Amino acid sequence: MLRLKRVGVSAELATVVCVDGNDETRTATIDALEAAGFAVRACSSVSEIEPALDDSVGCVVTAAQLPDGDGFDVVERVREHTPDCACVFFTEASPSELPRGGRDQIVEYVPRSVPNAHDRLGDVVSAAAAEVTQAAYPLPEDESERLAALAEYDVEALSALDAFERLTALITSHFDIDVAFVGLVDAHEERFVACEGANWRTLAREDTICTHTILTDEVMVVEDIREDPRFAGVDRLDELEIRSYAGARLTDGDGRALGAVCCIHGEPRSYTRAERDDLRRFADEVEEQLGLRRRLKDGGD
Amino acid sequence: MATRHGSHYEFPNLPLNGVSPGTNLLLTGPALGGTRELLLRLLLGEDGVLIVTADTGARKVLTAFEGVGGRIDRNRVRVVNCTGESGDGLGDIVASVGSPGDLTGIGIEYSGQYEQVYARGYDTVRTGIYTLTPLLVYSEDVRPVFRFINTVTSRIRTADGLGVCAIDPSAHDEQIVNSIAQPFDARIDVRERDGDLALRLQGLPDQPTEWTAVPPLS
Repeated sequence: MLRLKRVGVSAELATVVCVDGNDETRTATIDALEAAGFAVRACSSVSEIEPALDDSVGCVVTAAQLPDGDGFDVVERVREHTPDCACVFFTEASPSELPRGGRDQIVEYVPRSVPNAHDRLGDVVSAAAAEVTQAAYPLPEDESERLAALAEYDVEALSALDAFERLTALITSHFDIDVAFVGLVDAHEERFVACEGANWRTLAREDTICTHTILTDEVMVVEDIREDPRFAGVDRLDELEIRSYAGARLTDGDGRALGAVCCIHGEPRSYTRAERDDLRRFADEVEEQLGLRRRLKDGGD
Repeated sequence: MATRHGSHYEFPNLPLNGVSPGTNLLLTGPALGGTRELLLRLLLGEDGVLIVTADTGARKVLTAFEGVGGRIDRNRVRVVNCTGESGDGLGDIVASVGSPGDLTGIGIEYSGQYEQVYARGYDTVRTGIYTLTPLLVYSEDVRPVFRFINTVTSRIRTADGLGVCAIDPSAHDEQIVNSIAQPFDARIDVRERDGDLALRLQGLPDQPTEWTAVPPLS
């Protein structure tokens, strides 16, 4: 259950965004990161950060003070775009001299004052870019292999399948619940390839219950979201009127977790053993369909 | 002076075999008493030592570290004190954060102290967090605690350090403890009966998986 992980964007491919209003120190930082093998995008202010962000960015290195704000303003914008992107403060300022961030704006920090500071920054950025180091949720121990397995599926094509739509409609009527969905959990978000009873497309991974469901081979039931300390503080679930949850993990033939088939209700709800077994059977059906689509895709290549 | 050791972190006088650099251990047991003693004993060695203390003041934790045989050397040993208690008079060996709920501040002070120790030539560092329980209690949302733990365990893993984080499982739902355990390589359960300590370890090979007596301090 517990072991080392190496997950997320590979170090070779990750792009680093460097945010520093001082031309001299920004150039020196970029030179050091490029020498370490990273592609680097430069920003000189908080306002420049959003256009610089895309899925290739694995880490953001920021100064503490910027012309139009501070490093925590950068962190706020980065995490709005990619909630689990690693952020590193690289600054002359000591911890006591740093601006005050929110209590949950956890970042890495490398002081420029230490010997070989650029080397130390390179070490921290290398780790940040090679792993999902600042995720606000637990990660499966085989996350890297799991994401590789998920990449074998054509998610767009799966989203167009009538079979999943029919199945989720059947699930809502079978359990007499508000919403049923088939969700695939990728590196940063859950994508709903079928959803009956709501019009959900994606949800940030840190807001999902399924990111916990994929850790277990048992059907996961949360009878009352507000009573479960893992989810009671997740405002997004409240906004979506999700009060109770049951989910069965989806795996491929090698046992890699891909996502989950889930029941959602707007009121607290329990699930009997028989209902859990039924949900597991629905998930088995989805797994068969996924396997079939995967074989068709492979055959067409 | 650098204190490179062999290929493992060793635990003299404890019934545990050495573990590889980059290992993170979750220590679960009742608050105070034997759990704190065992955590501090796991930090003994010639490596750098960082202690994040969330429910015992810095002065008391340093005294306890000396009590288990630790040597206080300000080049090598650092404390991040987030109890809110004053660490006055201890100098730069202690960095203070106002509350166990300020996870951003704790993370920055921890990184800062790590770099200070590293800069003094200690490229192998043992980190002890005692305990995660106040961090969870002070956070209304568990997600920042996951982020904090992922960040710290990742730094330890990639820097070839050793991490030992304590949690009192009786203070939290089982699901929380199981989720918290995810980034750790192994879990050490601690039991104390009539003053006698015992431990067992799950998650690593060649370690005691059954309850094994911990020799008392000599």
